[in-house]
Amino acid sequence: MAPIKEENRWRRLVEECFRREAGSEAPIPDSAQDLIETGALDSMGWVSFLRALESASGMNDLGALLTNRTPSLQSIFQAFKESQAESSSLQAASCVGDAATGASVILVSSSAATGSRRIPSEEIDQAFGMPPGKLRLRAGIESLAYAAEGENELMLGVRAAQQTLHAAACGAQELDWIIATSETHRGYPSLAARLHSQLLARENCGALDVGGACLGLLNGLAVAQSLIASGQAHTIAVITSDVHSCIFRPGRVAGEFGGLFGDGASAFLLRAKSGSASQAGYALGDFFFGCAGQYAGAIRVADASNGDLDVHFDGEALSRAAITRMEKVILDVELRSGLARSTVQGLATHQPNPRLVTLLAKQLDLAPDKFPSIARTLGNLGSSTCGVALDAILQSARNGKLSQPGPIFLASLGPGLLFGGGWLVFS
Amino acid sequence: MTKLLITEITRMGPAFCVIGLQREKDKIRSVRPVSATANSWLHFPYQRGDVLQCELAPFSGAKPHIEDRVSTSGFEKESTVPEPEVVTYLRKAEIAGSLPELFGCVLHENKSGSGLFAKPPEPKRSVCGAETQNLRLELCANEPRATLALPSGEVLRDLPVVDRDWRDFIDAALAEGRGVNRVARLERFLSSQFHYKVLSCPHHFIRLGLTRPYRDLCWLMLDTLIPLPKQDWLEEF
Repeated sequence: MAPIKEENRWRRLVEECFRREAGSEAPIPDSAQDLIETGALDSMGWVSFLRALESASGMNDLGALLTNRTPSLQSIFQAFKESQAESSSLQAASCVGDAATGASVILVSSSAATGSRRIPSEEIDQAFGMPPGKLRLRAGIESLAYAAEGENELMLGVRAAQQTLHAAACGAQELDWIIATSETHRGYPSLAARLHSQLLARENCGALDVGGACLGLLNGLAVAQSLIASGQAHTIAVITSDVHSCIFRPGRVAGEFGGLFGDGASAFLLRAKSGSASQAGYALGDFFFGCAGQYAGAIRVADASNGDLDVHFDGEALSRAAITRMEKVILDVELRSGLARSTVQGLATHQPNPRLVTLLAKQLDLAPDKFPSIARTLGNLGSSTCGVALDAILQSARNGKLSQPGPIFLASLGPGLLFGGGWLVFS
Repeated sequence: MTKLLITEITRMGPAFCVIGLQREKDKIRSVRPVSATANSWLHFPYQRGDVLQCELAPFSGAKPHIEDRVSTSGFEKESTVPEPEVVTYLRKAEIAGSLPELFGCVLHENKSGSGLFAKPPEPKRSVCGAETQNLRLELCANEPRATLALPSGEVLRDLPVVDRDWRDFIDAALAEGRGVNRVARLERFLSSQFHYKVLSCPHHFIRLGLTRPYRDLCWLMLDTLIPLPKQDWLEEF
């Protein structure tokens, strides 16, 4: 929720929360009165009162702001004023953000986690009853990342998220939203809810699952950007996690389909760009989305009545659609952003298989190494392909210690045929 | 004489509450030595892991504090057990993996503020150990608070941290002599290094306790967080 801004409303809220803690008949203490020393509240009651205020007001860092201050109503009002000043400066920074790039949301840190086992593609060929070398020769896949025993969407997602939070020295309690996406996680509690519990986010941190299969990361980033831009949130984790190896098993699906997929996760920490901080980093640009229904028949996955998976996979049609649509999306990104694709640091795109990525690079007249090599060694990671690719580009930009790394283009597809694109600019 | 392995030293206000483990045949159980006149100690010069000799008399403490025993003599230190070994014993004492198992009763959420409580006489005991899937500490207006996930996936939020050593560590981190931005530096430590130091420790373990009834409710607290903080961690932030 957006924090309360009117001082009178805030004052009423303080009084109401105080009475709930101290009793409905309790007089409102003098502003400067030390509430613990004078016995108006004990230390547990003081914290409980502050937590109630945080929850009711949306000012989630109130307790943290009051450390090393006198436990009094005056301290609370002072913290409120300081928070208002900070919020105004933040809004001012958003207003003066680069209109062309919408540079008010910064990607602070990122991470990826993949299944611990590396399986040569020949083993996968054999497991699915295909001729040895088929995946390598036809799709360009050399190996796949498979989850080890005990690894699942939750575990990989938590690992990626914790690494991301750690890299930014950000506590899970600072998160306002957790946005999760997965094309393999089934059941309830949903992945976002389970991540929320495992990461120990605040209770009033939202948990949202978004769909879109391989397009999930872009959907998640766009939702996060909107929440931050609207003032509803300041800090958001977007997490992808997919474990295909448990679902697309030999005997359940054909090897030409199931053999393409690996297991992985990615996580990104997004924040509103602070007016006071001189933080340099990649800022989210615009996103656009659509659905090209003419390709809807190329891939369909549904539960069959006998418990199996009913997979319709027209590999040839899907490849043609993917290449055509991805090229179109990337050209649209170039057009909308005004950024030449020749200047990019890299392209974080969906990678159905490595052969298609090579072909796409050729069609766009780009060096193949502008596309991080994900599918070749890890397989198609579903919604996490784009995420692991984006993380690889961000890491290489950091490691290259470039003062002004180039922009990053995002493009992905999902069954439907859903498509989406966007970009990030270093600012 | 009773041999007591000291596992809990908690601090609320000026006094300390102490719990130890006592072996009884093939069982290990928690025992809380109290004086004849008070439930807590104003002076307790021993550490976690100390094995103390003492005289304890049976005492019918009010439920759920069934672990209370009256100490009828002074304590005499016999030896010290290293931290990992203390946890080995704690794992053999009262332990739970889910919320209802902790104290054998329903735990209630404070609807108007924070914290969890039990309603006496429902709880069957007042202390219990647990493994955690995740745990974080934060400061809320000078007060350390813990949020943790049990092996069942259930989350306990905003528990007061009463572990003496962790409270002392936080006080030391906020001491005036440590320069500027002390709160921000401590929060940064708790948000980053803490997680790796504590959760990657192979003998990471916690003990949860219930307060004595206050307005007819017993509130949940984080009594012990192992590993205990190291003094040299203060040099890292």
